[in-house]
Amino acid sequence: MSGRPLQLILARNLLSSLSTPALLADVEGNVLFFNDPAGSMLGRRYEETGKMLAADWTATFGPFDDDGQPIAFSDLPLTAALRGTRPAHAGFRIRSATGVEHEIEASALPIVGDSGFHGAMVVFWTVGEDPLEPAP
Amino acid sequence: MKVKVWGARGSIPTPGPDTMRYGGNTSCVEVTLSDGTIVVLDAGTGIRTMGLALGVVDRPVTILLTHLHLDHIQGLMFFAPCFHPDSEIVIWGPPANDAPLRDRIARYISAPLSPVEVRELPCRVSFCEVQANEWQIGPATVHAHAVSHRGPTLGYRVEDGDATLAYIPDHEPALGAAIETLEDEWISGLELARGADLLIHDAQYTDAEYPDHLGWGHSSLSDALAFGARAQAARMLLFHHEPLHDDATLDALGAEARRRWQVLGGDPQQVAMAQEGMELVVSGRRRRDAPAAAPPPRAA
Repeated sequence: MSGRPLQLILARNLLSSLSTPALLADVEGNVLFFNDPAGSMLGRRYEETGKMLAADWTATFGPFDDDGQPIAFSDLPLTAALRGTRPAHAGFRIRSATGVEHEIEASALPIVGDSGFHGAMVVFWTVGEDPLEPAP
Repeated sequence: MKVKVWGARGSIPTPGPDTMRYGGNTSCVEVTLSDGTIVVLDAGTGIRTMGLALGVVDRPVTILLTHLHLDHIQGLMFFAPCFHPDSEIVIWGPPANDAPLRDRIARYISAPLSPVEVRELPCRVSFCEVQANEWQIGPATVHAHAVSHRGPTLGYRVEDGDATLAYIPDHEPALGAAIETLEDEWISGLELARGADLLIHDAQYTDAEYPDHLGWGHSSLSDALAFGARAQAARMLLFHHEPLHDDATLDALGAEARRRWQVLGGDPQQVAMAQEGMELVVSGRRRRDAPAAAPPPRAA
């Protein structure tokens, strides 16, 4: 029996129907899914990448501070949601696979079901005027 | 493992001349395990006639509730063994945050909805919230998992020897995403149903009806068949019939289901609309595929 917890399944289905960029992470911070609006911002579609390990995600997309320095994993809202099982919000920069930087704000919500803590969903918004990604 | 359908209707009982053949009783399936242990899947109004047929039993009766919507518990108060002092009944159901299983069921079996209270039932009854994903009942291993429906809802998988039954009567696996587009691990209930010798699954709506009921927790015919095919179920009983569907409508849906099951690569004789009184023998694939195979689903 290796199917995902129902709460993650329903969260993925919700995210896949949103027009807002969003991702879903497991309890270890691995990115299980990101939706098409997130894919447009990141320059990669989920269908191309599949599940991404946390280290691969940060190596590919960041995040970075205003000076372009990588932000520690412990300072991410996703990490706060995963470690503290509480919502968290922060602003930072990410870099798409095509090299375009986006200034974003992200909110992370832990996903807790009857059988425990399953991960978190992160919704993010661009701040200001967002640079256009090149057409695929 | 033997299976008998005592109620296949969804939502509300629908007695009357237009539903005589498929039946109007709500969800209840009797499972007799290889050692004679009786497991009852849901306690809709079908459990009343099942209880009358059962008489006094000399071993515990286990009831597995998928959830507590009224069409799945309404028959409990009319289940004859509940009123036999010698009966032992074990009721399993989904946990919920608001109250223990016994208290949630007592909301129905109590005033003003009922003339008796749970504590007044003369039988020995116990309530068990499903905490583990897997446990034993007699010779069977039972698996339970939360599935996509409104409110805390479980699907069950019963493995007895080499025979496997999956029961997911209220289920909307395609909510928010088409089944065809999802990887296996992201499909609600798929692991419960995988490779089942018999899958009993929600097919409440026609494809035309489904868009008006999106999110209500039930499947269209197409989604039910896609789910069954994806799970590679050997046989499939389509269940939880829409109250508005009379016998003629269910006949037509059954014919459509057989045609589409064949298109999906299945044997059209191995998919049917569940029918009250239907009895099936569930055996493992090796035995069923042998020449002396169990017959396809049929009305009793």
